[in-house]
Amino acid sequence: MTRIKRDSIAYLFVIGFSIFMLVWAIPNYTPDYPGYGASAALVPVVAVSVMLLMAVISLITIGIAVYTNKPLPVEESEFPEDLEDESGFTQVGRVKLYHLASIMIPGVLLVVVIEYIGYELASFAFLMLLQYAIGSRKWVQSTILSIVLTAVLYIVMRYGFGVPVPGPQVFS
Amino acid sequence: MEMIFAGLLDSISPASLMFVFIGVAVGVLIGAIPGINGPMAIALFIPVTYYMSPLTAIGFLVGLNKGAFFGGAVSAVLLRTPGTPEAAATAWDGYPLTQQGKGEKALRMALYSSVAGDFISTVVLILIAAPLAAVALFMGPAEIFALISLALTVIAGIGTSSILRGLVAAGFGILIGLIGTEPVTALPRLTFDVYQLGSGLSLIPVAIGLLAFSEILLQLEKITGKGGAERAATEFSSKLEDRLLPFKEFFASIKTLLRGSLIGIGVGAMPGLGAPVASFMSYDQAMKRSPHKEEFGKGRLEGIAASESANSSVVAASLIPLFVLGIPGNLAAAMLMGAFMIHGMQPGPLLFKENAQLMYGIYGSLLLASLFLLVVGRFGLRYFCKAVNIPSMILYPIVVFTCVMGAYLGKSSMFDVGVMLTFGFIGYFMRKFDYSYVAFLIGFILAPEWERSLQQVVIISEYDTFMFFQRPVAMVLMALTLFVVVRTFWNSIIAGRKKRLDAAAAAGVHKGD
Repeated sequence: MTRIKRDSIAYLFVIGFSIFMLVWAIPNYTPDYPGYGASAALVPVVAVSVMLLMAVISLITIGIAVYTNKPLPVEESEFPEDLEDESGFTQVGRVKLYHLASIMIPGVLLVVVIEYIGYELASFAFLMLLQYAIGSRKWVQSTILSIVLTAVLYIVMRYGFGVPVPGPQVFS
Repeated sequence: MEMIFAGLLDSISPASLMFVFIGVAVGVLIGAIPGINGPMAIALFIPVTYYMSPLTAIGFLVGLNKGAFFGGAVSAVLLRTPGTPEAAATAWDGYPLTQQGKGEKALRMALYSSVAGDFISTVVLILIAAPLAAVALFMGPAEIFALISLALTVIAGIGTSSILRGLVAAGFGILIGLIGTEPVTALPRLTFDVYQLGSGLSLIPVAIGLLAFSEILLQLEKITGKGGAERAATEFSSKLEDRLLPFKEFFASIKTLLRGSLIGIGVGAMPGLGAPVASFMSYDQAMKRSPHKEEFGKGRLEGIAASESANSSVVAASLIPLFVLGIPGNLAAAMLMGAFMIHGMQPGPLLFKENAQLMYGIYGSLLLASLFLLVVGRFGLRYFCKAVNIPSMILYPIVVFTCVMGAYLGKSSMFDVGVMLTFGFIGYFMRKFDYSYVAFLIGFILAPEWERSLQQVVIISEYDTFMFFQRPVAMVLMALTLFVVVRTFWNSIIAGRKKRLDAAAAAGVHKGD
């Protein structure tokens, strides 16, 4: 997929999201006008309209360039590999869904199961899964790191800040 | 005068001294690790500051940021991998020196230049912020609304190659910042009947997700299956002349250092530019004005002085717009603004009026942080160099778990962990698709204030849409906003046309081949 195609998909997503917000979400989830001041919907509508307008302009610009067959800048017509701009701020590259899922799924599982099995077990399992996902196959090192990290943060939260650790307590 | 002494005395209380020192040390350590920068460190550590007094908390975070700015130079010099974006120019001359066995000398130059730049900038901040804030006190809601509009427009260009995508990101940030209780009706808005959203989204999980977690997702992509990062050359030459930096050698770069500091102050005081710009600009000026241009990029100490003095002087200078106008000039300032708000204060001119003692205490902490940076850097340099060699298989699980528990710590709520993961996911796509997460975050932070000032304008003016024309400052600021938008669009059209012409010329050459 070229960067042009990828940008177009992103702009279409922004347009779809903006229309969804303008047509359904803002009218249904904004308080009615109280009779003074500006409407509660004004600023959300302005923000979404800016998003919509910018995405439409961008899409039209791409459309004109493609329709008139203007030569596109070299880096935009090539497949985008992992790049970093001069400031090091923005990284542009291929979306690696498998990698993304391998990190996100343990995170989501942690949020869900911590309420049932407690902080200690959930955190240990999360850290083991995470290390496996990023390619660690040293089981002893992974186990020690998971236990130490879980214990250290337990001590910091419970005794350092006096914050209750999430979920039922297994070892309390 | 009494306030000044009381504030300065607060800053030298044992707790304050200790946390500023810890902040600097942790900052240098974190900044030395490639890929972890100052704003990210602030996002990770803000939850910890919940349990500190406001002065200690801000002192700790400022120390963290100052330390991280210098820490970025460590991996830049030793690995040619800048720990922070602003240290990129430091790598150009620092790494060749490391290859010659003079890594320690290069790092000493980076340290002294950072401390000097930072100190000069802090003094300028102290001298000008309060008088400017006194002038800014005359600004009403119309001016504040116009000023935030201008700031959002300027900031939309940061961190993306397209102003259009920057504005989309800023708009999205504003939209997310408006979730919660609406200020006029006090009723929930855009909460989708999720009761946890009633009080809005907290800055901490959003910032940790966008700044830290999404960055880690990207970095893990690069290292997964590759066995970790390149090892740094932390073995230095044992010859004294390769290790130490004599005063004469340091003094030879003094002009460059002062110029770099002034560039850093100028750039830092203007919202939207940031430390990388200052660093590159200063390096460019140093090279142009040097009689030894050909030595730049091959291990010239002057190059390091130029880059480090400029990027470090941005830290304190970026607090000028924050303290004077309540507008964060860059990401680190935005995170500090969030920290102020968490501790019940609204950055801006009123801060000097309502919390004068605290402000002078913060000034004291800023100066102390410069001193501690010198001490920590001078005596801990060799130990911090080891941080760049922490195996990624150990480092990243620690950072990810810190993100998770940092998000939880704010409200002791797993819902916030879910928010952090969601914004980590969104941040990943924003970075991949070149949408500015900086513009998003600043839009998110400024949205409530922007709306509040708009509501005040509407109510005060009794729906008079021409109110802006009766307020000259607001009118000028709105005109500037319009100018920035038009100029940016025009520049992007010209740049696009130039790119297409270049592409056409390149295609012509290829056909000719």
